[in-house]
Amino acid sequence: MTVIDEAFWGARAASIDALERELARLRRAAVAHAKERGQALARASVLNLVVYAEREIHARRAARAVADLALRHPSRAIVVLGDRRRDGVDASVQLHCHVPQSDGAQPVLYEQILARVRGDFDERVASVVIPLLVPDLPVFLWWTGTPPSDARHVDDLVTLADRLIVDSADFARADVTLPEVARLARLRVGITDLNWARLTHWRELIAQFFDVPAWRPFLDGITGMRAGFAVDMDGRDIHPSQALLLLGWMASCLGWRPVEALAPSEAGGVLFKMARADNAAVMVRLRPRFERGLDTGDVSGVRIQAARGRETAEFVIKRAPDQRHATATAVVGGVVRAERVVPLPALGIRELLGEELAIAGNDHVYEAALATLMALA
Amino acid sequence: MTVTLSNPLREGLRLARTPEPACLVIFGASGDLTARKLMPALYNLALQHLLPASFAVIGTARRSMTEDAFRTELHDAVAEFSRTRPINEEVWATFARSIYYVPTPDDRGYDELGRVLARVDGEIGANGNRLFYLATPPAGYEPIIRAIGAHSLRGTTGWSRVVVEKPYGHDLESAMHLTSVVQEVFREDEVFRIDHYLGKETVQNILVLRFANSIFEPIWTRQYVDHVQITAAESIGIEERAGYYDSAGAMRDIVQNHLLQLLALVGMEPPSAFDDRSVRDEKVKVLRALRRIAPDAVDELTVRGQHGPGFIGGERVVGYREEPGVAPNSQTETYVALKCFIDNWRWEDTPFYIRTGKRLPKRSTEIAIRFRVAPHRIFTREASEGLDANELVIRIQPDEGISLTFGAKVPVQGLRIRSVNMDFGYGESFMVDAPDSYETLILDALRGDATLFTRRDEVEQQWAFVDPILSGWHAGRQDLALYAAGTWGPDQADALIARDGRTWRRP
Repeated sequence: MTVIDEAFWGARAASIDALERELARLRRAAVAHAKERGQALARASVLNLVVYAEREIHARRAARAVADLALRHPSRAIVVLGDRRRDGVDASVQLHCHVPQSDGAQPVLYEQILARVRGDFDERVASVVIPLLVPDLPVFLWWTGTPPSDARHVDDLVTLADRLIVDSADFARADVTLPEVARLARLRVGITDLNWARLTHWRELIAQFFDVPAWRPFLDGITGMRAGFAVDMDGRDIHPSQALLLLGWMASCLGWRPVEALAPSEAGGVLFKMARADNAAVMVRLRPRFERGLDTGDVSGVRIQAARGRETAEFVIKRAPDQRHATATAVVGGVVRAERVVPLPALGIRELLGEELAIAGNDHVYEAALATLMALA
Repeated sequence: MTVTLSNPLREGLRLARTPEPACLVIFGASGDLTARKLMPALYNLALQHLLPASFAVIGTARRSMTEDAFRTELHDAVAEFSRTRPINEEVWATFARSIYYVPTPDDRGYDELGRVLARVDGEIGANGNRLFYLATPPAGYEPIIRAIGAHSLRGTTGWSRVVVEKPYGHDLESAMHLTSVVQEVFREDEVFRIDHYLGKETVQNILVLRFANSIFEPIWTRQYVDHVQITAAESIGIEERAGYYDSAGAMRDIVQNHLLQLLALVGMEPPSAFDDRSVRDEKVKVLRALRRIAPDAVDELTVRGQHGPGFIGGERVVGYREEPGVAPNSQTETYVALKCFIDNWRWEDTPFYIRTGKRLPKRSTEIAIRFRVAPHRIFTREASEGLDANELVIRIQPDEGISLTFGAKVPVQGLRIRSVNMDFGYGESFMVDAPDSYETLILDALRGDATLFTRRDEVEQQWAFVDPILSGWHAGRQDLALYAAGTWGPDQADALIARDGRTWRRP
């Protein structure tokens, strides 16, 4: 039986009441400790963050990201660690709590609770989480890994939440699981896909080309799109979900329809034939590339080809080898009309999550991109 | 205006819409403002992907200089003054490629400027969109505006706008004259008069605090507010600006623009929408209701001071008259305190105390709303000794934030009440660096949003308030009060507020 690392997760509590008492005690101790050092300690809470993990490594990674975010988004974090391996044993719940110290000039108190549920816990997990939620604050549910389809605990927890956070980069088979995420969207919960958040700068840069009035007409005359995404050296681990989302976004914004999937192309890439609103063909190729320094699945470059009458144009965004910049180039009629280098850092979980926690509403553009992808599949 | 197709890819993107492609023409490009503020702001906008996909900066000044020398100069300025450091050389390198320099010592220079502008405009597809930025000393404004007109620097297509730096005139008459010159070439909705205070996040937040919350506005009236104090304290002296400052003084440098803007934002009625017209209409209304201080009332309602030598942060500093470039018998004020009233339903008889000064003990700009004391005292005098009236303080710089004081029981047996402070700091709450005000304002001007710029009638109302005070002073009705550097201003300023049984806050 695995033992919970109490140095990381805090002391064990016998019941939810005992846990609340322990938290109050820890808060007072932290304030007293801060006072001794002449600091003021703010207790702030702007949201409930429920993290669901089935592997402790995921739970820890999530807990660390939440701790890093405490200053921007102080929260009560409830980490639910599901452990199914002890099959047949009675379900049990173990609670731990912790008031981590942040080392900033302005220490902020936030609270972290670990609820480890074991055995056959599907129908009881929500009952553990509900009493731990701070009233009146929004509930964000962060599902690490792939949410299984048609599972009671998923639906129960998602129903509690105002917003569901997933990372489709972790999905084993994006073509199967992205539609599953689309299904969850119908449970009337706002969905945040961290993998979608990784595309925000790309979308911004692509959109900026067509803010230029002279180039705007090319948007209706796109003939081809190519996107590269990173794979590891031996090319085995192929995660096209980010590139697929980028395609889904372009297609849904511009009204492209899938005609046929000519996939799979060479080395795990995908080739699609799509049709524009005016029925002209758009050839789309998503290609895995080995890129040093990029995480598997990250988009490495986009090339958009377009024609208007006899004039052709090409809009290219390519990551620089340093993986911190990109070059955005517009070539119209064979002449480079604009070329600039812009910062494009690869964002960590912490930055992505921080951005997403600031947003409460539904992302209709994401949902539309997903819906278009489902039609492709 | 040309109709542009909407961009369907824009939907749902959280970054603000990037402006249309445009050429930015900076007059006074070899000057201090360009180096310290404009270029660092433009570079930071480029870092944040906020500049248009195609964009060019064309600098001009009298000085003859090669493009390469100009770019190097700007590079070094950005490296020194940017809020994000070190400079990102990759981004700078491509940004610098779209920077041009044209010397304009004479008419032929302007013709060349027109040619370069047309060529660059065509190359980047700016479609004639042009933003002219007057970053020269004020004497340059008129000839430059005329040259823009005479040499047809406005594009034949697209939009043209002009940004005019402060000071906008030195009295009502000169401000109106400048407007008439500007309007020979630009329509009023194409004129963007900068008051960089309005680009500060916390200044914009005054409107959010007042009009996005329901708990403050009901008490934002004479019924609950005892008085308002607006302070803009500087610890620095006049630095290199003796030439300008000695002819302007604190009244023209700070009060006419910045402090009257703050007063307008605190005192204005709720606008019906957050757009340039509604917001500025309300500001003009409140400035119009600001009771004029007649020349013969300056003795009662104003204090003008000038600092002598003293100590700032442990360092000895010289008096104003010993500053290089200042006349040894200068009568210019470095300190102003005013007591004003807004004659309307909301504020009748509620004093607004305003003060600003150079060489005060610390740098601090803030607005304090002092509320009335509780109407009926149920606690003993002894219990409430440590209690003050409630106060809401909006700190503008440094350390932007909002704090509210209220009385709380001291946790001992028996009853003792003390004022405690509920403090909200921007830095700690959002953990992001606020953009520099020039970034906000340049972006707004490129987008054509004039909400944070001063409209013609606003400037005129500001001068109409300031002019009679200045003429009262010049008529010798108010002696210049001296104060030591490193103190909170002359004794007369304390007396001004003490006559009403009040004291200045210690910021």
